[in-house]
Amino acid sequence: MLKIDRRIIFLVIGVCTLLPLLYPVGLPIKISPEVRSIYDYIETLPERSVFLLSIDFDPASKPELHPQAIALLRHAFRKNLRVVAMTLWVSGTGMADQLLTQVAHEMGKENGKDYVFLGWSPGGSAVIINMGQDLYTAFPSDYGGKSTKGIPVLEGVQSLKDVAYAISLGAGNPGIEAWYVFGKDKYKFELGGGCTGVMAPGLYPLLRSGQINGLIGGLRGAAEYESLVGKKGRAVAGMDAQSATHFAIIILVAMCNLFYFSLRQQQGSVPR
Amino acid sequence: MDETSLGAWMATGLTLFIFSFLYKDNPLFKLAEHLYVGVSVGYTIVKTCDAVVVNQIYKPIVDQGEISLLIPVAIGLLMLTRYVPKAAWMSRYAFAFIVGLGSGLAIPRTISSFILKQIEDTVRPLLSMAGGDGLTFSMNVLNPASSINAVIILVGVSSVLFYFFFSIEHSGPGRVVARTGIIFLMIAFGAAFGYTVMARMSLLIGRLTDLIEFSDASYGRPTLWLALLTIAALVVLSRRAASMPSQSE
Amino acid sequence: MIFLRRQLPLLITMITGVLFVGQYYVPHPSSELLLTSATKWLQIIGGFALVLGVSSLFHQHAAKIRRQEAGWGYSVVLYAGMLATIIAGALAKGKESFDGIMTGFGWVYNYMMVPLQGTMFAILAFFIASAAYRSFRARSREAAVLLVAAVIVMMGRVPLGEYLIPLSGDVSQWILNVLNASVRRAILIGVSLGAIALSFKIIFGVERSYLGGGKE
Repeated sequence: MLKIDRRIIFLVIGVCTLLPLLYPVGLPIKISPEVRSIYDYIETLPERSVFLLSIDFDPASKPELHPQAIALLRHAFRKNLRVVAMTLWVSGTGMADQLLTQVAHEMGKENGKDYVFLGWSPGGSAVIINMGQDLYTAFPSDYGGKSTKGIPVLEGVQSLKDVAYAISLGAGNPGIEAWYVFGKDKYKFELGGGCTGVMAPGLYPLLRSGQINGLIGGLRGAAEYESLVGKKGRAVAGMDAQSATHFAIIILVAMCNLFYFSLRQQQGSVPR
Repeated sequence: MDETSLGAWMATGLTLFIFSFLYKDNPLFKLAEHLYVGVSVGYTIVKTCDAVVVNQIYKPIVDQGEISLLIPVAIGLLMLTRYVPKAAWMSRYAFAFIVGLGSGLAIPRTISSFILKQIEDTVRPLLSMAGGDGLTFSMNVLNPASSINAVIILVGVSSVLFYFFFSIEHSGPGRVVARTGIIFLMIAFGAAFGYTVMARMSLLIGRLTDLIEFSDASYGRPTLWLALLTIAALVVLSRRAASMPSQSE
Repeated sequence: MIFLRRQLPLLITMITGVLFVGQYYVPHPSSELLLTSATKWLQIIGGFALVLGVSSLFHQHAAKIRRQEAGWGYSVVLYAGMLATIIAGALAKGKESFDGIMTGFGWVYNYMMVPLQGTMFAILAFFIASAAYRSFRARSREAAVLLVAAVIVMMGRVPLGEYLIPLSGDVSQWILNVLNASVRRAILIGVSLGAIALSFKIIFGVERSYLGGGKE
């Protein structure tokens, strides 16, 4: 039984993912403090504050971070904040542009007046430092090629010091850590983070020390934020499948250990 | 067929070709895999040309006359001499500049963010226990900011740091500290595994959600037809491989 | 000549390294101007570095096609995909959409690149399940601790687990915020110390492997 064909396990996982997506149950989702603190902070921001969203992920992490981006943008637009979006990952540029345009269109916001997409620039941490020194040197034009100097949404913004709240949705490096080390450390804006499930445990030291004021971790975090914003989307829809697959893994691991221990007992005491 | 439907068929087909790897490595998967690399590289090249060449080099130098930007262009070109064997030594200047600059930028910022700030936050909660009217000690385990958790964090940080310090032998009281470190490490790795499972499953959920969306009749049900096509192709390929055992692929 | 090939690059590294470590602590406007210019230059040089990374891929697959090695047809597919994407990108001036209308380049991105990249990583879900079944055994006390922590976190982070056993949610939060945070903090401090030590070794010329290129 321990040497079962792995394709059977693949089938089990496939079924556990597919069935809850086709027949959802909709269990309640508890909100964790680290997600709530981001929500509460955005709630306290006055209208027309500058909100920087750095969409630092590529299509590989889209299922986890795309719902986070959408929920955050809906919240920011609802609070009438000035949204400045950008990305540090080249392969995420098209996706970032699209999701921003989609949510802005849905909330009736105007490009240049209520939001701007600065696009991508190579250099990672160098871009962050450059934005901290002078935003217009880092991004002389926005993604559409229009000059960034003089657009209404960036009025009064010279550098990162003028940003009220920045959130980095990161899938690796450059991501949240880079935004703190090269950004918040010197330019002192408030920083929050959203990340994939793989990165989340590693960011808790920064959360505990207050270096980031909140953390939205993985699809679960996205589902919590969607519930807070009040518009359930893909993340909440995926939670049932998440429950099913987690329990499938727990059962598989339990079975594996059961067979292992019964095998060991059968073979008598084995030297460790 | 409009571009959205065509796109739905393309996306579904490529997704199923890659999923076919779960059954066995096969030409459909190899095709999709090589296409992935090609398209990704092409996209990166286009974006780099657009963002860097047009917006950061050409426009500022030609339209705004920032001649000083020719220096980094020269450094970048020096970097490319790495591919010319006779002139490869010139690329060293470019790498020396980049590495020196990168190290210089990173050192003080890393010290401030990841060492000083982290140590400060480990020690500060313990100092704040001694208030104006004596020592306070909160025992609420579920509140991460309580005193008991501050003590646990201190024990965890020091025992793990001690465990990784291999310059002295872990014997006697040192052994107890190192073993405590190992237990903390195992718990953290368990949490990391749990979150990794969560992340991987989320990615699968995302793809299957797209496949379900594209199984709709308005696109012509690509999921259904292409799934049948992929299964049929796999059957044909495995029959062909079974009937020609002596030929290598 | 040795000076030009070996000493001068190391000197450049040391000067730029020391200069920018010092820059962090000097608040004078000219120091800030130096930082702005240097990071602007890094953005431009970063673009060339991407070209470097991509060209090694060209050589690898070009060699395969030239030598007609097994599977060279797939290398042709790779080149075809790349060329088609570049042509689409050039025609669309590097943009995925104009005023809300998707370009050919945008079509390639949305219906080829996104599904391909997404699925490549999605199949890992299956492999982690199979690996967990085959090798996640409590062979020792430490492994058992790891197993228990993993099960608690997996259960506590999904709605079904919190519904069945509400305590699992609270315990997994405690594990993450206290136990996991302390370990990750220690690892962060340790790794940062190591990185800084390496950076100093590079600046002072003790570590030279980054130079590469050419003899010596």
